[in-house]
Amino acid sequence: MSLKALLKSGIMLDLYFYKNNRGAFISMLLWPYLMLALILGMGMMLGSPEAFKENVGLAVNPIIFFIASTLIAMASVDVMWGVGGNVLFYRWVGTLPYILLSPNKTSPTLVLTYIPRYLLFTFIQIMEFVPLILVLEGVYRGILDIGIFILAATVGMLPLLGFSALFASFLLTIKEESNVLSWLNPIILLFSGAFYPVYLLPHWARLISQLLPSTYTIELARTVAIIGTPKLAAITFLIGILAGMTIFYNVLAYMFVDAGEKKAMKEGAI
Amino acid sequence: MSRESAILVRDLVKNYTTYLRKGLFKREKKIVKALKGISFTVNKGEVFGLLGPNGAGKTTTVKILSTLLLPDGGEAKILGYDVVKEAAKVRKVIGVSLTVEKGFFWKLTGRENLIYFGMLYGMGGPFLKRRVEEILDLVGLNQLGATDKLYEEYSLGMKARLSIARALITDPEVLILDEPTLGLDPPSARTLRELLVKIAHEKGKTVLVTTHNMFEAEIMCDRIAIINEGKIIALDTVENLKRSVANNVALEIFAFLPANVPVKSIIETIKGKTGIVSDAFAENGGFRIKLVIPPAESDEITSKVLKILHEYKCSVKKVEVKEPSLEDVFIQLTGKSGF
Repeated sequence: MSLKALLKSGIMLDLYFYKNNRGAFISMLLWPYLMLALILGMGMMLGSPEAFKENVGLAVNPIIFFIASTLIAMASVDVMWGVGGNVLFYRWVGTLPYILLSPNKTSPTLVLTYIPRYLLFTFIQIMEFVPLILVLEGVYRGILDIGIFILAATVGMLPLLGFSALFASFLLTIKEESNVLSWLNPIILLFSGAFYPVYLLPHWARLISQLLPSTYTIELARTVAIIGTPKLAAITFLIGILAGMTIFYNVLAYMFVDAGEKKAMKEGAI
Repeated sequence: MSRESAILVRDLVKNYTTYLRKGLFKREKKIVKALKGISFTVNKGEVFGLLGPNGAGKTTTVKILSTLLLPDGGEAKILGYDVVKEAAKVRKVIGVSLTVEKGFFWKLTGRENLIYFGMLYGMGGPFLKRRVEEILDLVGLNQLGATDKLYEEYSLGMKARLSIARALITDPEVLILDEPTLGLDPPSARTLRELLVKIAHEKGKTVLVTTHNMFEAEIMCDRIAIINEGKIIALDTVENLKRSVANNVALEIFAFLPANVPVKSIIETIKGKTGIVSDAFAENGGFRIKLVIPPAESDEITSKVLKILHEYKCSVKKVEVKEPSLEDVFIQLTGKSGF
């Protein structure tokens, strides 16, 4: 079966869903600003914008810094829920067996049916911040920022897909219906530096950060926010790490989801 | 495997491991033997019923045949393809319905759900659209005007029809349906049964259906396997199964009992005093007891049972002697009363 068919089925599912659920569509549009307000609010509780600039050590606009964090944090959460959490969602609504019965391997099915939604919604959410970024940064710098945000969200998604599929394999095998992602996601975001830069975390936490693809995605987006016009070498370095992680996590997911599915089928968890 | 066999099951074994909590930290491992080496074949174009009580192993069998559960022993083939080694090929020739009350996206309409699953199963374009309309017509959802309703607004009967529709979307050779009429009202159940018979006999599809409803199995299935505690205890046509207990008659007594007397204790007393297992179920405020007995002993056993009922202060309203039904066959074969 072609990859195109899987991508198309994913698009149709989401288009139908939002067509029939205007409320969910409006929530999706409001979410970025709500998330920004939450992150900014948390930041303000920890210190003033001046204190933030002192901590970071550069003349950084905290709002742009947190827009970058917000976009990438939202994208990361979305990937985790969209790929990993979908296994639980499908199980709750009873569609999981019928999705597994499709003539495709489970890992590509979970990942590929999700990609169109991710690309579309991430693009919409980035576009929502365009007016604010242009006002704060000016046209030239703003357009550059937006371009890098789109690049970071797209490239950063690729390793996260595999990373999230690993959780899908875990959720396939456990018979428990609780969603580990609901408490795991904030922890991953914390270690990835979504709420505060990674270099301000303790040493042991930084070691964990290095293994998380979202760390580099957030770093890429923030490089723009902090440095302004980043050097090509800095961007290439981060994209290189993300490319390596893409291969690593997706190959791992391909093997583990298969093994997870077999274990679930052996134990009667489907 | 015979050329005419669509499904072959040989010595199929499945055990589940469960854990019983013993306090906060301890748990005890328990092996549940769901299938104890069952064997049967289903011929092409027939409606084959897997009949048995809850927990008999019907759903386990269906899940193994659907490639959703790995067996621990034995083999199962569909159209010659092994369900374990050639699962991908099996998935292309089967249509599956596991539950009627869920399994679709609630915020999508019936038509949208079918289009999505059609795409997921590799279909697309005008062919898929045409196929969806054909299937919606076949299962009667178009006629009910339900195709553009959200799934969450569907009645159970509509959900059951949509579940059959999804199973048919890829035009599979073999349909595997787990309790397709469970919970349906009688008219909906009858419509669905007629549909399944039509699909098998007019369109040449093979239908394997599980049920615990003996009336349904009797009128719908060409052949039936009675499964109990993981074993197939009888396999034949309905007529032949009935013939196997034809030397007996079915005694049915309808009575009212005092409020403080449980029916179970009456059944146990009857078993103790006559050695015959009876079946009892509530009906019109009273209860009906059924016993399969040899005609020669019918007078003696009838008077014994009536005496027992009298002792329990039951008010007997009707006593009938009938030809045995499929339900009577089950009671005699399993030695168990009722489902």
